[in-house]
Amino acid sequence: MDIVYSFINVLVFILCAPLYDGIMRKITARVQSRQGPPVVQPYYDILKLLGKNTVNSADNWSFKLAPVAAFASIIAVVFLVPFAFKQNFASRYADIITVVYLLTLGGVSVLLGALSSKNTFAMIGASREMVTMIMVEPVLAMTLILGAVKFKSLALQSTMYSVTSFGYSASIIAMMVVYLLALQAFVGKQPFDISEAEIEILEGPFIEYSGPNLALFKFYMMMKQMFYAFLFIAVFIPFAETGYYIVDIVIQLAEMLGVFILIALIGSTNPRLRIDQAVKYYAVLIFISICAVGLSVKGF
Amino acid sequence: MNTIESVTQTLKSKFGDAVKATETPTGNRLVVDIDGAKVKDVSKEIMSLGARYMVSIGYDNISRDNTLGLIHTYAFDKEQFALMLRMSAPADNPVLDSITPDTPNAGWSEREYQDLLGFKFQGHPKPKKLVTADDWPDGIYPLRKDVPHNLVPPAAEDVAYQLDEAPPGTTTIPIGPFHSSLHEPNHWALYVDGETIKGCDYRGFMTHRGIEKLCQTQLSYNEIPFVAERICGICGSVHACCYAQAVEAATGLVIPKRAEFIRTIMLEIERLHSHLLWLGVAGHLIGFDTVFMQAWRVREQIMWFCEKLTGNRKTYGMIIIGGVRRDITPEIRSELETICKNLEKEITTIHKAVAGDTAIHKRTKGVGYISKEDTIKWSLVGPVARARGVDIDARKDHPYASYGEVKFDVPVVDSCDVWATVLVRILEMYEAIKIIRQCLQKMPEGPILLEVPEALPAFKHMVMMVEAPRGEATHYVITGEENRPERWRVRAPTYPNLQGVPSMLMDNQFADFPIILGSIDPCFSCTDRVAVVDVRTGRKSLVGKRELEELSRKYKK
Repeated sequence: MDIVYSFINVLVFILCAPLYDGIMRKITARVQSRQGPPVVQPYYDILKLLGKNTVNSADNWSFKLAPVAAFASIIAVVFLVPFAFKQNFASRYADIITVVYLLTLGGVSVLLGALSSKNTFAMIGASREMVTMIMVEPVLAMTLILGAVKFKSLALQSTMYSVTSFGYSASIIAMMVVYLLALQAFVGKQPFDISEAEIEILEGPFIEYSGPNLALFKFYMMMKQMFYAFLFIAVFIPFAETGYYIVDIVIQLAEMLGVFILIALIGSTNPRLRIDQAVKYYAVLIFISICAVGLSVKGF
Repeated sequence: MNTIESVTQTLKSKFGDAVKATETPTGNRLVVDIDGAKVKDVSKEIMSLGARYMVSIGYDNISRDNTLGLIHTYAFDKEQFALMLRMSAPADNPVLDSITPDTPNAGWSEREYQDLLGFKFQGHPKPKKLVTADDWPDGIYPLRKDVPHNLVPPAAEDVAYQLDEAPPGTTTIPIGPFHSSLHEPNHWALYVDGETIKGCDYRGFMTHRGIEKLCQTQLSYNEIPFVAERICGICGSVHACCYAQAVEAATGLVIPKRAEFIRTIMLEIERLHSHLLWLGVAGHLIGFDTVFMQAWRVREQIMWFCEKLTGNRKTYGMIIIGGVRRDITPEIRSELETICKNLEKEITTIHKAVAGDTAIHKRTKGVGYISKEDTIKWSLVGPVARARGVDIDARKDHPYASYGEVKFDVPVVDSCDVWATVLVRILEMYEAIKIIRQCLQKMPEGPILLEVPEALPAFKHMVMMVEAPRGEATHYVITGEENRPERWRVRAPTYPNLQGVPSMLMDNQFADFPIILGSIDPCFSCTDRVAVVDVRTGRKSLVGKRELEELSRKYKK
């Protein structure tokens, strides 16, 4: 029966992801002394895009496949995570490597779409996206591996909520700092929205996409943001487990809202970095995250 | 220290008969007539005296002596005078030596007259088409008098500008004709190795509106300021003022003192809102939209004020030959004082926020570097030059309006990068507020408009410089017989600065292209003013004589 929880996961993520995006836009607008669009604007955007014709400007199958693959991969991730502390049917068969693989698959789909569109700006965007993936993925992996080392198991539920059993240690604190520093890069917001940089490469990988395909990519990006916000609260602040499923969902959603407010504030008060500057920054993050895992092996 | 006399002497003694005649139309202008064959050497000599090349002016003299005229203009900034080097070439074989190898900034001017008048310049390093459309037929030179202003040659298919060859091992990234970092149509081809820029080619002049030709053939003296204002969407008053001053100086008109002060106030208001606009755009170009929104919010009160004063947020229609059209009433004056106070507070806040933001430093420091020597060599102007430690400012060097009577500083920073241009522009805003305040205090009572005589003397030459927010705007006027100029040449500050951009881009990151190009505050429409008819949009978009009259009548009521 616990497969129901998986479907609830997907439902909650699909319903809430655009809302969080709308809230971020509203906060950004307020920081900029603007009125801003209504918080439900992202829903309208998605619906509008879904109602348009599909234009296959690259004329090959990979171009059409990419948005679907990206969206499917993020749905799969959401399907198997133990949202609201609830182990579900899928998370019993999956482990942290599955999660990392599926997230990477989403990124690879974006690359696939960009490269098959044969647009110069998309190519630049793709190469930047690739660099970002290579440099940021280790931080994600280390975050999950940290719990795995503590538990000596790769199981999803236990590693993700390791703090509930082991409490805070030096390694967890270090990893939390790294995660916060990498947060903007995970969600592709300023100062790390480098691969989309609309001012020089015009949304980069997505430049040739329109209509339903673009809607899928947009939805993918919003779901991805929400997943990274969830991962943060699950791994680093897994408190207030009440045992009542609905209440836990509400609490976790509220905590995520906090993460999104943080993302919006950082995003609206920073210029975009260049890819060469960002790479140096990521390198430091990778180094610290490896150190954190090292510490946890030593038992700190 | 050069003086008009010493420069005249030097040229006469060095080149003897090649210097045919000299005259000084006003105390700070020197006209030197030379033999066209010696232009290269004479120009080199003038540059070695420490002059700064401004612009060249070509004109059609065929009806009088069957020649085409060409004038190179130079400014002696510290010595506060300008030199006009005048020569001619026979119309059937208009060949002159190019001065571009020694004075790189003359490159565009010479290419322009190749396109528009049929000049040939020997030794030009890049004699490609510059101004006319790609499908403009060969052999029709639009600025010649026998070509009607409304000529529309048939459009041709399959003609395109041939870009420069890309350096080996690079890929070409097309930026434009429409691209979100450009804001106006023009085309850059960037040759990049990875993400490092290794070269570029520029094709601009895509929205020619034929303003110069139109004004020389269709409009009258006092209609031109309104068209001049429409050259640029931001620094309109600058062009109107520069044109009006050139005509006034050429014909010896002296405008009332109060009008001079009002002109100064208008120019400084324009500088304020232009710099705020730029700061916003610069923020946007480095992906920092909060700076963008806040700077434009602050700017908005100036726009509202201008609407109150002139009826328009932009394109004020204030300046005409002989003075200005609207007075500053005590009510308006007190409002302007309040706005100055608010602005000073807000700009201080922005200044602190920007100066203390290390992330902005990361994106701007060391980016777009060009050395002081290269800046001087390329004759760059305005904040772009002042950010490279070159202390030039037409307001100080060639005082006009009432700038001689107010105290202000010219901020100069010498870190030679984009960050310096940010700093220079922010500091200039404080100076602009200072100038407006002094003007309001010192402004005498009296008339604001001079009765302009029916007929102005013909064939007087005059060059006039006005410091626009983007740098020095230069207008050259040759007065004419039919109540309109014989020749009117506009050179906006972007014209020289854009030519320096390739050196700034070299070896920078592709991601920095928007902000490097943005750092000169480019105004492509300002450079595009010249040619005759845009075959794509057609001439119907122009404001005709009758419409202009109707408009001005409507607003006089």
